Amino acid sequence: MKIIVAIKQVPDRDSQVRVDASGKWIVDTDLQYAMNESDAHALEEALQLKEKTAEAGGEVIVVTAGAESAGTVIREALAKGADRAIHILADDLPSRDSFGVASLLAAAVKDEKPDLILAGLQSEDLGNGQTGVILAELLGLPHATLILNVEKTDIGLRVKRELEEGWFQNIELPTPALLTIQSGGNKLRYATLMGIKRAKTKEVRQVAAASLGADVPAVAVLEQITLPKKQKSTQMLSGSPKEAAAALVEKLRLEVHVL
Amino acid sequence: MSGILVILQQRSDNKIARINWEALTATQRLGGDVTAVILGADVQTAAAEIAAKAPSKVIAVEHPLLNPYTADGFVAALHQLIESENPTHIVFPHTYQVRDYAPALAARFKQVLISDVTAIAEGPVFTRSIMQGRLSANYRHAGSGPCFLSVQAGAFPVDLPAPAAAATVTPFAPTIDAAQIRTKPGEPYRATTQAVDLSSAQLIVGVGRGIKSQENLPIVEELAAALGAELAASRPICDNGWLPMERQVGSSGQTVAPKLYIAAGISGAIQHLVGMKGSQCIVAINKDPDAPIFEVADYGIVGDLMEVVPAITAAVKAAKQ
Amino acid sequence: MTVFLPTFAEPQRFSLVEKLLFAAMAVASAIIFGRRFGAVLSKILKSKKEPAFHLFPIGPRIRDFFLEVLCQTKVIRQRPLPGLAHAFVFWAFLAFALVTLNHCASVFGLGFLDPAGFIGRFYFYIAAVFAVACAVGIFGLFVRRFLVRPKWFGQHLSWESGFIALLIFVLMATYLASFGISGTGTSIRLLWWIHTLALLTFLPIVPYTKHLHLLLSPVTVFLSRGGFSQIPPLAGDEDFGLVAGTDLTQIVSLQAYSCVECGRCTEHCPAANTGKLLNPKEIILGLRDYLNDLGPQSDQPLLGKYNSQEAAFQCTTCGACEFQCPVGIEHVPILVGLRRGAVNTGEWQNDHGAKLFLNLERGSNALGISPTERDKFIEKQQLPLFDGTQEYCLWLGCMGGYDPKGREIVADFARVMNHLGTSYGVLRKEKCTGDPVRRLGNDLLFQQLAEENLKAIAQNKVKKIVTICPHCVRTIQEDWKEYGTPPEIEHHSEFLARFADKLRVPQVPRTWGPGIEDTPLTQSPTPEPGNDKVVFHDPCYLGRYRNVYEEPRTVAALAGNLVEPERNHERSFCCGAGGGLAFLGEETGERVSNVRAAELVATGAQTIATACPFCNSMFRDSLAPQGDAAPQLLDIAQIAARNLPPANSGANNH
Repeated sequence: MKIIVAIKQVPDRDSQVRVDASGKWIVDTDLQYAMNESDAHALEEALQLKEKTAEAGGEVIVVTAGAESAGTVIREALAKGADRAIHILADDLPSRDSFGVASLLAAAVKDEKPDLILAGLQSEDLGNGQTGVILAELLGLPHATLILNVEKTDIGLRVKRELEEGWFQNIELPTPALLTIQSGGNKLRYATLMGIKRAKTKEVRQVAAASLGADVPAVAVLEQITLPKKQKSTQMLSGSPKEAAAALVEKLRLEVHVL
Repeated sequence: MSGILVILQQRSDNKIARINWEALTATQRLGGDVTAVILGADVQTAAAEIAAKAPSKVIAVEHPLLNPYTADGFVAALHQLIESENPTHIVFPHTYQVRDYAPALAARFKQVLISDVTAIAEGPVFTRSIMQGRLSANYRHAGSGPCFLSVQAGAFPVDLPAPAAAATVTPFAPTIDAAQIRTKPGEPYRATTQAVDLSSAQLIVGVGRGIKSQENLPIVEELAAALGAELAASRPICDNGWLPMERQVGSSGQTVAPKLYIAAGISGAIQHLVGMKGSQCIVAINKDPDAPIFEVADYGIVGDLMEVVPAITAAVKAAKQ
Repeated sequence: MTVFLPTFAEPQRFSLVEKLLFAAMAVASAIIFGRRFGAVLSKILKSKKEPAFHLFPIGPRIRDFFLEVLCQTKVIRQRPLPGLAHAFVFWAFLAFALVTLNHCASVFGLGFLDPAGFIGRFYFYIAAVFAVACAVGIFGLFVRRFLVRPKWFGQHLSWESGFIALLIFVLMATYLASFGISGTGTSIRLLWWIHTLALLTFLPIVPYTKHLHLLLSPVTVFLSRGGFSQIPPLAGDEDFGLVAGTDLTQIVSLQAYSCVECGRCTEHCPAANTGKLLNPKEIILGLRDYLNDLGPQSDQPLLGKYNSQEAAFQCTTCGACEFQCPVGIEHVPILVGLRRGAVNTGEWQNDHGAKLFLNLERGSNALGISPTERDKFIEKQQLPLFDGTQEYCLWLGCMGGYDPKGREIVADFARVMNHLGTSYGVLRKEKCTGDPVRRLGNDLLFQQLAEENLKAIAQNKVKKIVTICPHCVRTIQEDWKEYGTPPEIEHHSEFLARFADKLRVPQVPRTWGPGIEDTPLTQSPTPEPGNDKVVFHDPCYLGRYRNVYEEPRTVAALAGNLVEPERNHERSFCCGAGGGLAFLGEETGERVSNVRAAELVATGAQTIATACPFCNSMFRDSLAPQGDAAPQLLDIAQIAARNLPPANSGANNH
């Protein structure tokens, strides 16, 4: 099976993010970056599929769009077992919207003719959760989202999808197809020394975004970034047990939405 | 282009969930004629409910291939509807289903979905969270195409003016070929509850040493039952055998990330903390105001859990009625 | 007045038949010996070269050889009575060297020790004394092995050991019986031949059994890696640790063949003592079996048929095994090597382990907590930031920075340093030193952490570090050397001990400890804690690893009269957290920490003093079921801070 995995480098979730001077993006010096978590699960799912269907010609290719520094997530993916990589060099990623990014990805992979494309469900920075679905539409592939597990069948794939409130659903679809993978469906593997050493010889094809001829002006334009009105702090609820309980239930209803 | 379409979603019991009314309320900020749309194989009941509450037109999009839900079916149907109605905005409630098809639908129009919007201001300027809720971002729609957006659950109130008369329900019959539906969804099912799998629980009540003795456990069990939550425990409780080991949350037990974690009588020692700090909302109840758990809690109550927990249980039961 | 002493007798002449018989037997014996010994030697020499092995400085090697081999210090000190018995046997062997040579030479009339001459007489008498000691010794050891049966020898009775004991006894008995007999009769000839038979049977048996240690262990002790639990660097791009036979180095092979199966390692192993699979002796013998069966050029995995992966990952790296070993086997580098082979290749699949690695791949600490939490702690405690001008950098570590209990210890230590006027600061950012991943064998992650930390330390111009965690001390001082030059570092016990006098006299009324609620508020200050006992638990990484035993005791004694648990100082029993195990979730069998905690509680002390935040954390859980009846658990920093002028001493002991 030839599987393409779309991955993204995002600021680590524990990083202090501060709004930059222009107010349009974050200060990116002194930030730690990491592979987007649901992308890591997508990569893991792809690697497990390759290992399970261990036929000749099985291949996992990772593709990312981003600055030169995004090379670290590519190396990590190769170290964990991906076979080769495509790096779309684009320094202006934050100014493109999901359609723009999906267009770049579509242009870069359309000649690969994969059996399956996996993408993470949503990114930890912008969290739009659409690039995968748009990519499927651009390539004319059937798709499914919020997928936890993927199984190969004789006629295609059977996947397990997460629904709201603890329900699940199995879906059958033909290949080629695209799936967006939810975090937690599989156990991530750690990077190993052996993996890193082997990764040194794997191919990373770099392609400049401009050369793909897929530049599309953004329709959703990020105008400004601000600190949210509600900061995370502990709200202490005081009063008698009855009063505190009532206050809590109010919060659970209105702010946490669990009642 | 004129008018706004609000795509509502019916539940499996044909009723309309609250988030849909919130979406309709939010749409009012955009100004313009609003049309509520409902899709499915049979939407008569839902359409009637909407017509009774919605401020204007209702379009009932019906086709046998729209049940069960598939992205291909909904995209095909709505693509035709949008071309027919030519709206300026198409508004969705931000649900799993919408996330599945709306981006593909928008892509057909070379648009993206401005998703999970929490506020709509003059402009319109759409606000959504980025960086896992640490920052807010304001977006504007550019270009000449229709604007697709989805609205976050609970971000907008439900505030619809009562319609003078029931709205008109206009049918719309899309053309969908069976060959267009490429995915075959199965019946929804719940996870088998053989083992206690706290890691997928959405609501958890955790109990710690503050419970003092096994005889007091029913107090937290009742709270869990009232909330529909799973019961979890810190290590000492499991070590004493008061609760089975599978309910242990922490470095030597399970790691959980529910929507709500109520920590009753848990001090917040690191071994437990690392197992539940990913919870979206943490409520801490502890007698000691300096307990480390309060540093990670979103809401805290300093008090005797023997009194506080039953009070919460009573309040929860009352709220659910 | 000379006392009549019997003379050693030996046959005067040997017939040609006897000469030929002896020659044939000796040659046969030598061939059997040579073939087997040659094979073993060949396996050792064909093993991979040891990376980064330095013969020099040779002084410590000679010293260790003299003490441990010739004087048998370790053998005796750690198991006195059996150790002495063995020492007698060993010294007898040395003493008998000339006797044996003479014995064989005399067949051909080339004997050089004349039993009638002065030197000969003297020598034979000396040898006789050793022979008596040896005979008594070997008899005692025989009784111990076959009648007393200590469990560290395992279930299986070693008949070969019994046979060898018998041979040794026969050698000594025939020697002693040769005194006071006529040199001309048949009895002397009989004794001589029995002695010869025993000798020539003994020789070829040696390389086939654990008695190989006779020849190898002096070399093993001499060629130790130097340093305790020294983990060797990986050699080049294709080296991932001990994966298969081809990875076994000459030192490891030598050590595997030196094992005498005494079981001292297992006796002190926390895992073996609490019902886990891990048995250090079996690990070494497993390697030996692998070498015997497959040799050092096999690519079959070392963890599989001969040793289990599960056992290898139950090791806390406490070092008790290595410390006890009388023949110089270094167990910890071997276990870490086996783990490296499993982790660096991705063979090890463990949920908790993967989570630990993923946490450190992405984040800064082993607990997976956001670094902003550490920032908040620094701010709340008003800890000064290190700016390059202060004398010390206070290294918080993962426990000190993120664990509530670890933070209390840091806070109290900071109070003491403030009181003493020490100039110190904490780094704005710290990454985990990498101790757990180092001991678990993840070299990729360890290299990343070590290099990043060394860079930050150089950038911040840190010259001297003091820290509350012995694991940090060890990793920074020793393990980081592989990737750079670490700064000076000491443990807070070493620091505090220097100022113990300044911290000795309490300056406030006693406000802590059992029974304090009954003390009326108007009571005048009590100057001493009275009859309270305090027991100090030696952390593995401070005691055995660093040889620091008295400094923390000096500080702990501020809390009362020092008592010792049964296993103390270099025999201290691990708390169970080391080797990365604190991050690996629930253990099988009994909890190591519970066993040790019970031992500490059994001393009757009111206070248990620790010097490591991991030990503290483990015992906290063990003591929890006892509630208020448990002794106080305090780090030495907290004890030191007790006597300071009032401010919050952070007395929470939950």
